[in-house]
Amino acid sequence: MAELLSHVLIAYVLFTVASWRLEWLTKRWVAIGMIGALLPDLNRIGMFVDDATIETTLGVPFGIDALHTLGGVILLSGIGALVLTEAHKRGFGVLLAGALTHLLTDGLKAYADAEAGAWLYPFTWYRHPTPNLYVSADQGVVLVTGLLAIAIFLVDYRLTATPSATDP
Amino acid sequence: MRFAVRLGITLVLLLTLLGLGIHYGATYDENWPHPSGDQLQEDYDEFTGDHQLVFGEVQSISEDTMTIHVTDSADEVAAELEITHHDATDRVDPGGFVQVYGVLESDRTMTADELVVVNEDNTAEQYKLLTSIAGVLLAIAYFFRHWKFTLTKFGFEPRPNKEETQDG
Repeated sequence: MAELLSHVLIAYVLFTVASWRLEWLTKRWVAIGMIGALLPDLNRIGMFVDDATIETTLGVPFGIDALHTLGGVILLSGIGALVLTEAHKRGFGVLLAGALTHLLTDGLKAYADAEAGAWLYPFTWYRHPTPNLYVSADQGVVLVTGLLAIAIFLVDYRLTATPSATDP
Repeated sequence: MRFAVRLGITLVLLLTLLGLGIHYGATYDENWPHPSGDQLQEDYDEFTGDHQLVFGEVQSISEDTMTIHVTDSADEVAAELEITHHDATDRVDPGGFVQVYGVLESDRTMTADELVVVNEDNTAEQYKLLTSIAGVLLAIAYFFRHWKFTLTKFGFEPRPNKEETQDG
């Protein structure tokens, strides 16, 4: 996985560009999409509690990396949407879309056997071919996404500022 | 949606998520095409003679070989392997992390067909951690700019914003 700053910036860029065409996709929903981009990396809980400890506690096998899969983010998006007081369906959809930007970006990263992680679980364990574009510690990723996010921020600022400047 | 309903659905989703983690942990080894650290520890010889993908932390480097530690689900050393690769030793230092794809030999060596340097050294992990923290803070700050927690409804509701008064 890339570091989380890149994932958040990618979500910002994609949702902001989409907001130029979709009237309902306002900045508050862009914010929800950015939160969605964090969801798959909740498996980083594993940095503090390893699978073996959880397995000992539960008495059954356990894999925290299930959170970093399609099934995991569908459930997490559902939980996240219910933390909102309204617009739960839209919240679910935007959180899931944000999480998918994360999983799809991770689907491009390098694996020595040239096949991506099994992120489509539980629907399939299929590992699609990966173009091996980057590794998680590649500083070029945050540089590119950062520059892209700045450019989109400036364009968006100009687009959203223009109508109000001409308002009577 | 009433709070009690939201709470009930959230509990169901959390239980489903727990079940997903258990299923993932129980089925991972039979569906992931390469040996985990636990499997190498239990029956190393079962995986020799075939192409395998292993992940490990670099312990030492000499000329065109390196020693890596593959860990199990408790983050304990499950196997120590000597990896041979023509140029990898120029790209990684002890403390780094690599993916290796090659034929696993019974004498605990592996000649890498492909090698991906994930972390060049242990500072790469710090870089990923710091940038990830920045990403989390950015997403949370942007979220709270547009949403606020309300105790009466026990959830997040949109902040009043004149640009988004029509927003649902």
